[in-house]
Amino acid sequence: MSKRLPSLLLLLTLLAGWEAWCRVGGLSPLVLPPPSAVLATLWSEIATGRLWPHLATTAAEMALGLGIGTAVGLGVGILLAEVPALGRLLHPYVLASQLVPKLALGPLFIIWFGFGMTPTIVITALICFFPLMENTLTGLTEIDPARRELFRMLGASRLQTLLRLKLPAALPVIMAGLRVAVVLALVGAVVGEFIGGRIGLGASIIAAQSVMDSSLIFALFVVITALGMLLYEAVRALERRVLHRFSKG
Amino acid sequence: MSTEPESGFVTIAQARYRYGAAGPTIVDGVNWQIPRGEIHCLIGRSGCGKTTLLKLAAGLLLPTEGTIRIGGETLSGPSPRAGFVFQAPTLLDWLSALDNVLLPVSLKRRPTAADREAALDLLARVGLTDFAARRPGELSGGQQSRVAVARALIGEPDLLLLDEPFAALDALTREELQDDLLRLCALNGTTALFVTHDIAEAVYLADKVAVMSAGRLAHARRIELLRPRHRDMRYAPSFAAACRELRDAMDGEPAAASERPAA
Repeated sequence: MSKRLPSLLLLLTLLAGWEAWCRVGGLSPLVLPPPSAVLATLWSEIATGRLWPHLATTAAEMALGLGIGTAVGLGVGILLAEVPALGRLLHPYVLASQLVPKLALGPLFIIWFGFGMTPTIVITALICFFPLMENTLTGLTEIDPARRELFRMLGASRLQTLLRLKLPAALPVIMAGLRVAVVLALVGAVVGEFIGGRIGLGASIIAAQSVMDSSLIFALFVVITALGMLLYEAVRALERRVLHRFSKG
Repeated sequence: MSTEPESGFVTIAQARYRYGAAGPTIVDGVNWQIPRGEIHCLIGRSGCGKTTLLKLAAGLLLPTEGTIRIGGETLSGPSPRAGFVFQAPTLLDWLSALDNVLLPVSLKRRPTAADREAALDLLARVGLTDFAARRPGELSGGQQSRVAVARALIGEPDLLLLDEPFAALDALTREELQDDLLRLCALNGTTALFVTHDIAEAVYLADKVAVMSAGRLAHARRIELLRPRHRDMRYAPSFAAACRELRDAMDGEPAAASERPAA
């Protein structure tokens, strides 16, 4: 706690400065609402229960998109690493597919999948796929050659080498990819909702914008940030657990 | 080059190895035989081809020309009869010392209580009884090397191949590990081929030492020190003479004393 105290004090100072600037500077709440108004709006959204369906939808889209993107990214990364010829054949296409701005695919996904959660989940999964695939591929191809020779010497099968050597050794790199994917998943889910969502935190921001409710927009920023930090910390906890099991010392 | 009878347990016959069809020749027509139960050492400067020759003997590389036989069987891939100790301990960081020793067994089947007993016994023989549950990150370099030697011996291999396994250790630890290795090899009559660039290590361990230069065996001599070897032998005149002769051979001087007993 004592380590986090300076960060907390900085936050309080910034909030106090922000509040003072809004009150003394006579800034319009439409441009920049004071923190007290943002907190009041946030509390009202929580107390009336209006927030929960939106939060649940965004969290579900994020979790599903992250889950699907992670599973496919891990699988494709393993495939490209294990079959080098396939890697050489497909890697340029995978890379090209990632250079297409995925948010620009949103309108197309709405045509394909309709309004609702599906296009957002697909966008989130596409965004999360790449760091997992790239890190899995890197992790699996950078295994110490001497350890690979050891497994050859011990007569290990290809599957044994993958499961008993390559994946455990690549775990720190794969977990780093997952951490990046979590952050991107939130961006994917919220921005995906901008395009085609009717419910969710991103869709709520668009709705608040249409009625010029800046306080609500800021309140939703707070919720989105808290959701992102919660998921990030959850992945960090998972990472610590997994790496303790599978890494040095 | 070889004066051993054709009955060598390990027979390297006219082995040649080059990288690619037009690549440089790394091992150039080596003939070598190791009788069962003997320890042979290969010395030479860095890049002389000794590690490549060791990998050929392990079946990790296949010769471009010539053959390598272990117990009469021509190698066509990694030999299940050989244990290999690499230059670095190559332990799996996420496994305990005990599970690292058991790795060769656990890749074939679920280790039994008897396997665990054998692994603990090997760890005890290399002085690591109290370290069985520790992970490699919690062990010193010398302890990691001991675990690597124990792992190579768990399957009771007929042939032990070692690639400068103690090179990164301090002199005292290296001497201790050399004694451990000699004891363990003597226990089961294990045949060994040991690659090193340390002449004194080679003379202390070996029944026969070969000097490799530019992919060829340039010189060889038997070491007639008594077994079991002990530390005092390192200071005997015959030990120093053998080291001197091998050093001269490494420097490319005429090796008139080739094949002459050292003591």
